[in-house]
Amino acid sequence: MPPALLDPPLSETSLVPYLISGTISQEPVPESRLFEDLRGLRWRINLGVLPPCSSLTSIDDLRRATANSRRRYASLRGQLLVDPHITKDGSSSPPNLVMDNPLSQNPNSTWGRFFQNAELERMVDQDLSRLYPEHGFYFQTKGCQGILRRILLLWCLKHPECGYRQGMHELLAPLFYVLQDDVEHHSEVRKLHEDHFTDRFDGLFCQENDISYSFDFIKSPDLLNDEIDSHGEGVKIKSLDELDPKIQTIVLLSDAYGAEGELGIVLSEKFIEHDAYCMFEALMNGARGSVAMADFFSYSPVAGSHTGLPPVIEASAALYHLLSHVDSSLYSHLVELGVEPQYFALRWLRVLFGREFSLDNLLIIWDEIFLSDNSEMEKHVEDNADTGFRLFHSSRGRFISAIAVAMLLHIRSSLLATENPTTCLQRLLSFPEDTDIKKLIEKAKSLQTLALSSEISSSTPMLIEYNKGKSVVARSISIPCESGSPKTPNSLLPDNSYWEEKWRVVHSAEELKQDGVEKQVPSQKKRWTEKVKLSLKRTESEPSSSTIKSGKKESKASVNRSLLEDLSKKLGSEGDTEKLGCHEVGQQDDGSDDSNNYDADDRCLSKNISSENSFNSASPPNEIKDLENENISQKSSVGSNLSVDEINEISHSSPIDSPLPISDHPENNLSPAPGRNNDSTGNLATISRDIKLNKFQWLWKFGRNKAELLSEKRGRASEPVKPTNNFNNNQSNTAPSSTAGEHCSSVNFKGDSADQNVMGTLRNIGQSMLEHIQDYVFVQQVIESAFQHERGQGASLDNNMSKNVLVGKGQVTAMSALTELRKISNLLSEM
Amino acid sequence: MVLVLALGDMHIPHRAPDIPAKFKSMLVPGKIQHIICTGNLCIKEVHDYLKTLCPDLHITRGEYDEDSRYPETKTLTIGQFKLGLCHGHQVIPWGDLDSLAMLQRQLDVDILVTGHTHQFTAYKHEGGVVINPGSATGAYSSITYDVNPSFVLMDIDALRVVVYVYELIDGEVKVDKIDFKKTSTSVPAL
Repeated sequence: MPPALLDPPLSETSLVPYLISGTISQEPVPESRLFEDLRGLRWRINLGVLPPCSSLTSIDDLRRATANSRRRYASLRGQLLVDPHITKDGSSSPPNLVMDNPLSQNPNSTWGRFFQNAELERMVDQDLSRLYPEHGFYFQTKGCQGILRRILLLWCLKHPECGYRQGMHELLAPLFYVLQDDVEHHSEVRKLHEDHFTDRFDGLFCQENDISYSFDFIKSPDLLNDEIDSHGEGVKIKSLDELDPKIQTIVLLSDAYGAEGELGIVLSEKFIEHDAYCMFEALMNGARGSVAMADFFSYSPVAGSHTGLPPVIEASAALYHLLSHVDSSLYSHLVELGVEPQYFALRWLRVLFGREFSLDNLLIIWDEIFLSDNSEMEKHVEDNADTGFRLFHSSRGRFISAIAVAMLLHIRSSLLATENPTTCLQRLLSFPEDTDIKKLIEKAKSLQTLALSSEISSSTPMLIEYNKGKSVVARSISIPCESGSPKTPNSLLPDNSYWEEKWRVVHSAEELKQDGVEKQVPSQKKRWTEKVKLSLKRTESEPSSSTIKSGKKESKASVNRSLLEDLSKKLGSEGDTEKLGCHEVGQQDDGSDDSNNYDADDRCLSKNISSENSFNSASPPNEIKDLENENISQKSSVGSNLSVDEINEISHSSPIDSPLPISDHPENNLSPAPGRNNDSTGNLATISRDIKLNKFQWLWKFGRNKAELLSEKRGRASEPVKPTNNFNNNQSNTAPSSTAGEHCSSVNFKGDSADQNVMGTLRNIGQSMLEHIQDYVFVQQVIESAFQHERGQGASLDNNMSKNVLVGKGQVTAMSALTELRKISNLLSEM
Repeated sequence: MVLVLALGDMHIPHRAPDIPAKFKSMLVPGKIQHIICTGNLCIKEVHDYLKTLCPDLHITRGEYDEDSRYPETKTLTIGQFKLGLCHGHQVIPWGDLDSLAMLQRQLDVDILVTGHTHQFTAYKHEGGVVINPGSATGAYSSITYDVNPSFVLMDIDALRVVVYVYELIDGEVKVDKIDFKKTSTSVPAL
């Protein structure tokens, strides 16, 4: 029957069947249905071990790829597995025994390598002995264990930088299992269709009668009986064509005389070890894709990582990021409890959920995971280098994170019910056995598309502030406890992208500014608010004491934000809940920790943003007043509690307040500033910076004397000036303070009617400040000095000593800036 | 792939202070599965040191040993080989192959390890293999001139044993290798 099956032309090419719409199969087999029964083969294709199925792939290509991969493994094994008893061929006849004796200390000697391998094997054995005890009848057999051990050993020897980590064996076991499954399936098919499994060798050259042929070589007596029975049953399949295409491919894949001969038999028991190794290697390496499992086992950041974190930590954060978009309440609950994603995600990711599901369910999930393409998305290359989690760069990574989030959502209710992190983790780590896998996968697929859309298009994702590893982790955990804010502390934008965003905002604001002044003011306010919002999103994490600079920026931004919010509120812009929320949160006393100042500010602002939709401000001014009346012992809370009036006063009084003479700071251009005070040509970019500086200074001054500020709100304008004078220890001028007081009162009297004026004033001030303060670094110094002074006022003085130098500089610049502002305000008041 | 260390006749502290440093650097714990010691350690400290190298320690009594509880002879089975251990001062004439062969037949072992002569020897004869690891410290011997420190490491692998001899000659460690095979269960091949 074999000869009759084959097409008359005996040339190789025409006989080679094609997988899709080939000459033999009747219809094109859709790729997803390809090799439905042969999971191992499908996975090998999906993982990249074998070439992907397209109309151009032929069975021969598959066979060749299989053979090549097997050859690679065989050579690797011969190379790395060391048997010290076997002397190397071609070595000098008296082997150098001093080197090659068992006690040799030389690590390169065969015995040295032998002992190293033995050490590795011991580690692997520790894990293997505990592999899948529920399937022990299969996995705990000596043969299987031996194969798995060898594969793991060889992979670890080939990748010494990774070494062996616990969990690798659990990645390997299902791969091995499906290969064994395939072989069994194959043998079943073979039994069923024994007729067609004769080798093409026989078919090609011996055009004999089927029956006699099959008698001679294939059929054993038992099988003969089977055939007779099947005859009796009726339909006898005469030709290969009539077979199910799937069976056809199996036949052709197993032909011992096809391409590459025995080595090319794609489903072969003899080479299970080779195939398993190739699959494992492809899985670990990611096949040049984005998700490489080996990364999840490394402790150091991968080259090209944007966050500088170990990849598994980054991936866990990506998971949380996706969750925050999908289900913010669960997300905030988990963050509030302090459940870091990697506590459970480490196990999930490293073993690709191997521990959470039974083997059968796991196979289904892995089917889907491997089906997703692993190639890195092109989009991210052009985008800002800091965007995106690496996990989201490929659809496979997205699917993995989507599955994780789907799992979280599945046990959502039980997680929300937990009150402390321990029980929460317990529930996370013991995933329920009876989950409906299909539903889970469908949900994951929907989330996968969501991950594609939201993550790529959204603003830069929150990056994790694991700058220093565990210490930072500890810190970030403490943050939510202190402030009670649900927002994750794990967000820290690198400075360059933060400022890029600022520039973008500023430029867009500048365009708006081209419009009328009247419109400009409120819109500018709005822009500022936007800017504040954006910066809020970005700068949410606490600045580390070691990174004062970035911390300063953030705090400055937060201060600015609060000021902006207050301003816009005063203007009566529609409820900017963030500001109100900010005020409310600002009321929380964050304690005397300096860093907490910033954090609280950031957090309150960020919280405001997050809850803006839910907050309705009925009477912003009143609330502001109320809020302001609260205690503001810290600078951050001061900033948030500033009323609009205060801000006005600040704006006017801060230049007035500065009794310090303009120092001859080398880079300070404040002295020529007065002449330019009235210039209205503002570079918005500089304006923004100046505004920040201004606001910071104002806030800073006020922050130092909260009580006075509060009293000031009640109408006493002169008081705040005095406290600010206290700050300026170097020089105190009563005259300026009095003038400041006058101005303050004058400003107070203006009231709401002076809104526009105030805004114009502020704008002009900002512009002038911009021109004055050219070097941004000095702004930093100012902030630093201001903070230092603030701290000096506050309880903790730890950092004071270290910042004395900066303080002096900052003071100088601050004073000079303030003098300018004072002059400006004088001019404005005269208007 | 079983590594067995055979050594003896250290005579610490009477005739030598310690095992040579080069030998000590090679003897690291973890590689060796068994230690057989012919005797004359002589003190407990040497016993403890050998114990740190490997927990499976077999010692027979030499005439200067301070611990009198060691046995005169010992036999053990490692892999396919039967090993016999004796200090050797009991077998007269000292170091005579035929007499030692008699002892080997008495103990019914494939490999007999004895000492006392402070000189490394390894004989193959129809009865089996007789190995003398020499003195690990190169201690003085009244019957041997120019004693070099030496010991023996046996690599027992199924039916084959590879004997590595480590000698300290002029301050350098020299290694030599001898192969013995055992064809059948009873009689080792020559």
